[in-house]
Amino acid sequence: MLVAGVDVGARNISVVVFRDDKVISSVLLTSGGEGTAASRVALAAALEKTGLEPTDLQAVVATGCGGESVTLAQRQSAEVVCQAKGAYFLFPSVRTVLNLGAESSRAIRVGDTGRVEAFAKNDKCAAGSGLFLETMAKVLEVPLEEMGELSLQAEGFEEVSGICAVFAESEVISHIHRGVPKDRILAGLHKAVVGRIQEVLAKVGVRKDVVVTGGVGRNRAIVKELADKIGQSIIVPPEPQLVGALGAALIARDLAAKSRQ
Amino acid sequence: MMDEFRQSRLNRHQAAIRWKEDNKSQVIGTLCCCVPEEIIHAAGMLPVRMLGAHEETTEADLHFPTNLCPYCKSTFDQALKGKYDYLDGLVVPNVCNMIKAMYGFSKLLLNIPFVYFLEVPQRLSPNGVSFFTEELVRFKESLEKFSGREITGEALRHSIKVYNDNRLLLKRVYELRRRSPPAVSGTEAQEIVISSMLMPKELHNWLLEQFLEWVQGRDDPPQAGVRLFLSASVLDDTDFVQLIEECGGNIVADDMPMGSRYFSGAVTQNRNPFQALADRYLNKVACPRKMLPDERMAFADRMMRGAKVQGAIIHNMRACDPHLYEYPLLKAKLESEGRPVLFFRGEETETERPQQKADIEAFIEMLGTQTE
Repeated sequence: MLVAGVDVGARNISVVVFRDDKVISSVLLTSGGEGTAASRVALAAALEKTGLEPTDLQAVVATGCGGESVTLAQRQSAEVVCQAKGAYFLFPSVRTVLNLGAESSRAIRVGDTGRVEAFAKNDKCAAGSGLFLETMAKVLEVPLEEMGELSLQAEGFEEVSGICAVFAESEVISHIHRGVPKDRILAGLHKAVVGRIQEVLAKVGVRKDVVVTGGVGRNRAIVKELADKIGQSIIVPPEPQLVGALGAALIARDLAAKSRQ
Repeated sequence: MMDEFRQSRLNRHQAAIRWKEDNKSQVIGTLCCCVPEEIIHAAGMLPVRMLGAHEETTEADLHFPTNLCPYCKSTFDQALKGKYDYLDGLVVPNVCNMIKAMYGFSKLLLNIPFVYFLEVPQRLSPNGVSFFTEELVRFKESLEKFSGREITGEALRHSIKVYNDNRLLLKRVYELRRRSPPAVSGTEAQEIVISSMLMPKELHNWLLEQFLEWVQGRDDPPQAGVRLFLSASVLDDTDFVQLIEECGGNIVADDMPMGSRYFSGAVTQNRNPFQALADRYLNKVACPRKMLPDERMAFADRMMRGAKVQGAIIHNMRACDPHLYEYPLLKAKLESEGRPVLFFRGEETETERPQQKADIEAFIEMLGTQTE
């Protein structure tokens, strides 16, 4: 049985191709342009590695804020459900999923069988999201992927209020003007981001194991700070941005199995 | 069949103006479900609930700070723009802080001939009921003086009967909505309740009877979905309920001032009408302004009884203090009963529909997979 899950996020498109009980291929592309064309390109890229054709797929499920643009999909599935399914497949011990994406942060309480029990997300504010970090990386002239490592080298931190993405940006700029080392600013920035994430997490409660998914999961400083704050170790899958697509692929697998019956 | 109800909301201003011309009488605006409309009806006048307009406010921004109730602000904005110029009177009850403030704003800034501040006691007690009884007599006398017409006991008893008939008919609509699968959608039920706050009651009763007959043979019943309870502070149109139902939910029970709270509890007909009205509007309208959480939770229970509710959506207007204070209690109660809760903080002009839709879809998928 060959199926695929497609996650069209605010920043990236990810595809997971699943055969029987195994992931046989996956891709992660920066989304640009119109969603329908971009998701076709991503799906074709994922299939290219396997030598299979889109017509070989028995089911495709789409998710993410741009999920509706995936015309090949038989079904749309909610992001929180896909994140929970994907994380549970990888780590059956997961009870809390923290999906830290480009546009939003979501906390998901997962039941013993992998079902979503409750979820919450950041409230009408960009601070704490991946796109916010990206903006700050530009302001600080630090490559996005190096932000975490640089921050971990800091001795101490410089306070950033983190209440508002716009105010935080002007705070950071004033720190730069005062000659504060970048690593200290980053450390302060990451603390502020973690503060926002904790607010979301508090709405569903923390139960172990905690798994972080989404692009922000690649930032080691945020994951470490968060683990310290909640007093729990945090699991980050090797490819945290693929978890949503993996969950969508698992739903596609169930869909294909049902239509076979 | 639904079109007449819907049009009565969409064309509410034109309809009220036409009613005035046809009946050579007055139209009285009301705010909140604590105003005993029966007295206005018995005076031969048309009570209409003031509604917001779901467009950016401009005029009201000059007078209101940004952190106040968006519903009151939008309603007042409409009045400042002249949309409510046909109002002969306005009854402002002593309920929440913001509605109270509407009295002063209206006196100062609007040109409404009759503005009455209705003293509704905050707390319930036998003294409160007797005070409110006297207040309703004062309200009747003020209306008489304003209109130059006497409100007879006979007219008031008749109006109470017409309103009780309406309550019974609305209750039947809600019973049909509670069926499994529902025979009436949540969107339809809310449209019907809102139209009841705008239309002459006799016409509404007649239309409801037609509707109830039509429902028996309808060939397009609502699709069965995840069964939900909706608790809201102000939802003065059907957009939000429609969004939920488009995402695969069925609103099968509610707790809303522009829903069940408007018509729950009849006025006793064989007693002094003022006492009976005071009793109904104080004791039977479960409004969070009274700060009686036990009464509110019991009301929610009564609404959900037999409705096979799987989960709840709570929609509170930003800055609606009475509802927001109560929210943690209601949430804890519902969750302790195994009913997950999805919360929204609403605006009168909603710019976050796509995000709301994503959350509702996720919530419904979550509840749906749990009951598969």
